[in-house]
Amino acid sequence: MTVLSVRDLALTIGDTPILHDIDLEVKAGEILGIVGESGSGKSLTALSIMQLLPRASRWTGGIEVAGNDVGKMSEKALCSMRGRDVAMIFQEPMTALNPVHTIGHQIAETILIHGECSRRQAGERAAALMNRVGLDPERISPNRYPHELSGGQRQRVAIAMAIALRPKLLIADEPTTALDVTTQAQILDLLRSLVRQDRMGLVFITHDLAVISNLADRIAVMREGRVVEAGATDEVFREMRHPYTRALFSASAHVPDRSPVIKRQGEPVLAVRDVVREYPRPRRSLFQAANPFRAVDGVSLDIRYGENVGLVGESGCGKSTLARAILALDRLQQGEILINGQTFSEAGSGPDMKQRAGVQVVFQDPYASFNPRHPVRRLIAEPLYLIENAPEGAEREARIVRALEEVGLEASDADKYIHEFSGGQRQRIAIARALIIEPSLIVLDEAVSALDVSIRAQILDLLAGLSERLGISYLFISHDLSVVRSITDRVLVMREGRIVEEGPTEEVFLAPRHAYTKMLIAATPTLRERSA
Amino acid sequence: MSVASRQDTGFVRAALGHPAFLAGLALTALFVLAALISFLWTPFDPEKMQIAAKLQSPSAEHWFGTDHFGRDVFSMLMVGARVSIAVAFVAVGIGIGFGVPLGLYAAANRHGLIDEIVMRGNDLIFAFPSLLLAILITAVFGPGAVNAIIAIGIFNIPVFARLSRGAALSLWTREFILAARVAGKGSTRISVEHILPNLMNLLIVQGTIQFSLAVLAEAGLAYVGLGAQPPTPSWGRMLAEAQTFISLAPHMALFPGLAIVLTVLGLNLLGDGLRDLHDPRLRRSRA
Amino acid sequence: MILYFLRRLTALLLTMFAASIVVFLVTEIIPGDPASFMMGINADPQAVAALRTELGLDQPVATRYLAWLLGMLQGDFGQSYTYKVPVSELVGDRIMVSLPLTLYALALSTLIAFPAGVISAARRNTTADFAVIGATQLGVAIPNFWFAMLLVLAFAVNLHWFSAGGFPGWDAGFLEGMKALTLPAVALALPQASILARVMRSSLLDTLDEDFVRTARAKGLTRSQTLWRHALRNALIPVLTIVGLQFSFLLAGGIIIENVFYLPGLGRLVFQAITQRDLIVVRSVIILLVFAVVAVTFLVDMAYAAADPRLRRRPR
Repeated sequence: MTVLSVRDLALTIGDTPILHDIDLEVKAGEILGIVGESGSGKSLTALSIMQLLPRASRWTGGIEVAGNDVGKMSEKALCSMRGRDVAMIFQEPMTALNPVHTIGHQIAETILIHGECSRRQAGERAAALMNRVGLDPERISPNRYPHELSGGQRQRVAIAMAIALRPKLLIADEPTTALDVTTQAQILDLLRSLVRQDRMGLVFITHDLAVISNLADRIAVMREGRVVEAGATDEVFREMRHPYTRALFSASAHVPDRSPVIKRQGEPVLAVRDVVREYPRPRRSLFQAANPFRAVDGVSLDIRYGENVGLVGESGCGKSTLARAILALDRLQQGEILINGQTFSEAGSGPDMKQRAGVQVVFQDPYASFNPRHPVRRLIAEPLYLIENAPEGAEREARIVRALEEVGLEASDADKYIHEFSGGQRQRIAIARALIIEPSLIVLDEAVSALDVSIRAQILDLLAGLSERLGISYLFISHDLSVVRSITDRVLVMREGRIVEEGPTEEVFLAPRHAYTKMLIAATPTLRERSA
Repeated sequence: MSVASRQDTGFVRAALGHPAFLAGLALTALFVLAALISFLWTPFDPEKMQIAAKLQSPSAEHWFGTDHFGRDVFSMLMVGARVSIAVAFVAVGIGIGFGVPLGLYAAANRHGLIDEIVMRGNDLIFAFPSLLLAILITAVFGPGAVNAIIAIGIFNIPVFARLSRGAALSLWTREFILAARVAGKGSTRISVEHILPNLMNLLIVQGTIQFSLAVLAEAGLAYVGLGAQPPTPSWGRMLAEAQTFISLAPHMALFPGLAIVLTVLGLNLLGDGLRDLHDPRLRRSRA
Repeated sequence: MILYFLRRLTALLLTMFAASIVVFLVTEIIPGDPASFMMGINADPQAVAALRTELGLDQPVATRYLAWLLGMLQGDFGQSYTYKVPVSELVGDRIMVSLPLTLYALALSTLIAFPAGVISAARRNTTADFAVIGATQLGVAIPNFWFAMLLVLAFAVNLHWFSAGGFPGWDAGFLEGMKALTLPAVALALPQASILARVMRSSLLDTLDEDFVRTARAKGLTRSQTLWRHALRNALIPVLTIVGLQFSFLLAGGIIIENVFYLPGLGRLVFQAITQRDLIVVRSVIILLVFAVVAVTFLVDMAYAAADPRLRRRPR
């Protein structure tokens, strides 16, 4: 039975055409993966099916949900369709639930709003649904509020709300993108089993080819508002008829060419010795101050000249706090940090500004990383402030141009403002800013995580080349194991403030020793090997 | 450079397509102009009494009529604009001049002693309902325009301190500020170089709104006799005097009231307009 | 929750304490010698000396402050210099006009602003929305005392529906009293209602943009169900702060409006006292109003916690 059929869907918002000639079909019990980069129109396709489009939009074509033509339905009919025949899960579990209502209330609301049963029965059914999505109502009371749950638990609540009336079609828009890999694996398992049990159709929207290759029966690849290739998953991966599919595939599996030259002798570029970082916790009791939260708990590590070291771990493991400590943005409670053998920061005293020029940083968000009011010239020259007798005039200009050219931009870009650049270009400018004072070490804090796969592949190539050419070491911090595997020589696995495993990257990935590392690697989705 | 000018033309084009902003600009300009012209010329001497011509309705000679002493209402309004605008301008200036540095300093040294003092001081001043503080000050120091300025100015300090502290705190967590710290810059330098320029829009918008509130506050103080003292004309006192003659000569109450309403309305429209024009989301949707 | 309560209560007491010091400093220290300030330049030196003793000015500053504070805690605000009666008596009579006026205006403001704000947000970009935006834009620009004069002109001078001023006293009956307070309350309330309606509208519009509203729509709630069940309560949280601030504005605005309508409230009392340089009455009225404002702020903080479960668990 066909639960979703989309024919020739076209959508414009205002005067801007967004979608063109979209054709999709989902049968009961089938999982359709829609994959595409940002701006490909995959989310608006989902909202078209739900008929929850922005106000200024117009669509044409045919959309049938469970055999009903949504174009012919009144708003009242659409309301009774939503939640009953078709339900949706969104990306951000943090904001998708109403903060002032209990989770039990919000699950029961789906049932009540469709007039299925009494308030008391709805409460009982909500408890049963919680059980079904893996939230034991004995342990997690339905009377809790969303802010008291973790991201994964909230996403389970969102799923419970969506499947409450056993809809024929479920749409999930990047439901695991904001979650850690282990949680992602659990949510994917849950969705898979719910689809099989209820014989729902599932539309799973994602940017992540690896996730979809392990989940979907059929996939549709979207680009610039069009479906460029569609078919059974195996077939699409085997044949890859459209060049974009091939490009997407190779970018997702991209491993930069590297031949690192690592100097093992001499002082390490970075030495972290028994570092402890603590945060004060809010008081819970009037009479007793809370123990501080130890975000980094006795971490030691070395990075050698020319070496790329990866630091992986899930959110809250302390990796970003450690990065801030290494950059001497926060004070240490214990331990010390040395740059090229000189003390940079130690417990009890502030950072030694003379060592600052040895380490620079590239952050995750290419949009928040720059002062929007300064031209690129001024942005990338900012670290020159650290050098005594900083170059002036022509020499300064030459350095700015050199830094821009190193990252593949042009000298003329120096006069532009940051809003004129795309996300990938901005990340290049961030790298240029880090390079300009020729530091020994660059900390890359999730530096490629916000980028689309094709851009990410380019930035990884750039980073690999720079490291070899200029002999710069990286501390590459990421939650994404496959990226870390592609670009680092050595990897550290962090959990609850401690390093639990450390070793050459390939050894750790092929033969993890610590149970946590094993779990992480098992949970990480990989592109299925397929013979061409 | 080309980019900056491109941004500027974008702003001008957006401004021209924003009727409320243009109306606000026109009204504000009108009153500022009236105040400036009053230094050079008014139809009549605003302080000259002509009892014979008292309580006249608007006519070709006296555009807005005369008051109970036969003074020309239009001329008094022009000079009154001067007082209103000067008091409001200096009061908001006091608020910005003291409040913004305090707020920036408090944000840069979060949880420090100064931060604590600034925040508690804010709470304290907000505990005094706005006019009450002015009344207390004038009760002890005596009424007058200068004391009105001080009273309104003091109330503006916490407004700007709180605003700039809050906005600066959120900027301090932004990655470009972290990058500046990694580039070795100290907190004062970062505050001046990165934080303040990014607060400018916010300060201009809030400054306009505080300006309009200060005009209202000045009128209120003058109305109860705590503003500029006679014979200097002021809108608030004109209204107080008009009250006795409300049934006899309603024009005496009408025109000063309208002057206040239109000034405040103009400033509010200007402030709202500036906010719209600076909000990149709105600007993009207009483009 | 208890921790949050205690924290706010401590802040409340500290603010009151600090405010009392400020008021004491301004009225007792800055004038130099309050006795000669109150009696004027040409006063008989003997009379000034007598007043100085009566006021306890021969004692150290700290003792005087403590005596004043302790007196207030027992309801003793001192003796009015001009009326020669305890200030508590004077204030007690006047507050029976000022407080009802403030509450009346607050009720009006809220009753007007909430529906206006909700309608405006729910029907965004319709005629109703533009009407509310226009009316509130005008409303925030109108000085309340001028608006009061226009009301008098229209409803008292021309239509004779209400009297132009004065207060018959509550002895004349509740309805008569309320009738006398109606024009003043309307004059006070409309400008504040404009502010409140604007805040309500923008808060609701912000909330309607939130992800959880989209989630609710995806569950099958209609647009209006989403508004009432999900958006409204979240939108009310910032509006509460404004309602709290309005109390303070209305209380202060009342001081002026009472002068327009010749109402025997705290406002008239304080202005008479200022003219007569009766510092004791001035400072008592001011400290009382400050305490009222701080207490209301505290109540708003508590309402906040009741409305927002995130505050209950994690005190800031």
